[in-house]
Amino acid sequence: MPDWQKLVRRRLSGLVLEPAERAGVIAELAAHLEQVFEEWREQGLAEEEAIRRTLSQVEDWQDLCRRIQTFRTKENTMNDRVKQLWLPGLLTFALSMGLQELVQKFGPKPLILSLGKGTPILMFYIGWLLMLPLAGALGACLSKRAGGSVRMVLSSSLFPVLPFAVVFLIATPIGLMIGNSLAHHIVTVAFFTMALGWVLAPGAALFVGGLLVQLFLSRPLDSRRIANS
Amino acid sequence: MIGSGIKRGTGELAILSVLEEGPLHGYEMARRIEAQTKGALRFTLAALYPMLYRMEQHRWIRGSWETSDNGRKRRCYRLTPSGKKKLVPLRKEWEELFGALKRLTKVAHA
Repeated sequence: MPDWQKLVRRRLSGLVLEPAERAGVIAELAAHLEQVFEEWREQGLAEEEAIRRTLSQVEDWQDLCRRIQTFRTKENTMNDRVKQLWLPGLLTFALSMGLQELVQKFGPKPLILSLGKGTPILMFYIGWLLMLPLAGALGACLSKRAGGSVRMVLSSSLFPVLPFAVVFLIATPIGLMIGNSLAHHIVTVAFFTMALGWVLAPGAALFVGGLLVQLFLSRPLDSRRIANS
Repeated sequence: MIGSGIKRGTGELAILSVLEEGPLHGYEMARRIEAQTKGALRFTLAALYPMLYRMEQHRWIRGSWETSDNGRKRRCYRLTPSGKKKLVPLRKEWEELFGALKRLTKVAHA
């Protein structure tokens, strides 16, 4: 019986992976070929014919090597994530910040929420909130075009508020703990209003844009994926 | 002739479907698919492993080395929660596509 590991190693000599990764691939393919070979032998084929038929499992070793290289290289996972999440997300973030700047300079006056004594605690730029679905839709669209899953698509559209959401998730319990010994009702109200202004309201606007893209683009893209995947 | 896109789509569906029944290594998977499709779908090593690695990269399946009863080491693949989620819409898409093609051919023959 041939040494299948040696044979596969020689034919995949161009495979450039981490040593352990490469050894794993070679061992896996060799084990597969060995089982195919044994099956042919059990069916009564002579060794030479069994080897010939086993090797016919791979017509082009160079092509196989290239395809394995593509899918076993970790860079590609990173590239996918960059294309499906980071790039669309950062563009959404940049667009939402740019829109906010424009609205602050040229838009109508903000809606100001204040406490009972008239102290302003939150400003809502309504014009900005109305434009945010566009930013969310852009992020979702780019992620969708890069083959992003529903989770990636919606995360890309919500990307600008995610850092604030994380900060609030961490800061709220800490703030409430501190506020427990101080004026806890003020801390709670302050956190709620800030979360509303920084996370919930813009998040909802971005989400609307992302959801619309997801709903309207999913059907044609799914059909296209069947043909192109 | 069936195009490579269609072949890959059916291949992914076939792999996810057999792995839904339980973990398998590559050779078993190829045999199982061939048997269950009565030979209509056959995977050579060259077709199977790049697809498995691609699906593993997408985290639809996960491979791990296991030792069988006869002492042989085999890389077994199992469906991940993400793969299970992927299988549902994939099945639906293919059912819709085949349904549409069936209707189309019926109309063409009418």
